[in-house]
Amino acid sequence: MGSAMSASFAPECTPLKKRYDSCFNEWYSEQFLKGRSVENPCSKEWYAYSACVDANLVKEGIKPALDDARREAPFEKGGELQEREQGKEQEKK
Amino acid sequence: MVLLHCNRDTFNSDFDCVTSVVFNKYPNPYATHILSTDVIDRHLDRRGDVLFTTRLIRKQGRLPGWVQWIVGGVKISDSWMIEYSRVDRRRKVLTTYARNLDHTRVLKVEERTTYEYLPDRRATSVHSEVTFTSGLNGIKHKIEALARAKFEESVKRSREGMSLVMQKIEAAAERVA
Repeated sequence: MGSAMSASFAPECTPLKKRYDSCFNEWYSEQFLKGRSVENPCSKEWYAYSACVDANLVKEGIKPALDDARREAPFEKGGELQEREQGKEQEKK
Repeated sequence: MVLLHCNRDTFNSDFDCVTSVVFNKYPNPYATHILSTDVIDRHLDRRGDVLFTTRLIRKQGRLPGWVQWIVGGVKISDSWMIEYSRVDRRRKVLTTYARNLDHTRVLKVEERTTYEYLPDRRATSVHSEVTFTSGLNGIKHKIEALARAKFEESVKRSREGMSLVMQKIEAAAERVA
């Protein structure tokens, strides 16, 4: 599916995204869905891609709206997002 | 005011195939307005059964000309969306929540979709709910109604796009086998 993967908003990140996506897709169908992995995969590809995205997000001016949105927790019921928030609350106490 | 639209459909494919497509459905000829998708965050729950993904999606703006005129001649050429997803591999349920990040005063579109595997039918059902909210007094009802009409059309295109990508994946899988 190499050519079928979508571009990054920042053209310079697209090759890094494609490398990460290929690694993720393989992990998703061969490891995750089959219950063979408890680890978030492809860390080398992820760090390269995500550093590129972070650097470019600042330039785009969308970062404040994105940061606001990420404070929402749409899967709060039984979701990891809420568990994380609760973790922070407990740390404060 | 808020308008809600519900849509239900079924794909004759298994959960693994359908959910792989959700992460790889762009580009496809039915979604040429999607310019880019980026993964912002991805993590697993402690047991490794639930995968959480946050994506940033850029799409070409489709607000009609008269809306742009009302918002002060600002040319809205593209917009950003955030999409959260949650894949539960044991229960075979994928839930997504997406909304636009910018122009939210003119129109906020929130879409919740659930893909669920039906073992008896060996198929995956998909159910979407969309909420339209406009913060512009006076014309908000008109904007909400228009957005809803547009949405009916776009859901159909989205399903067609999903089916097309699934056929490609299935064909590729057969070649490998």
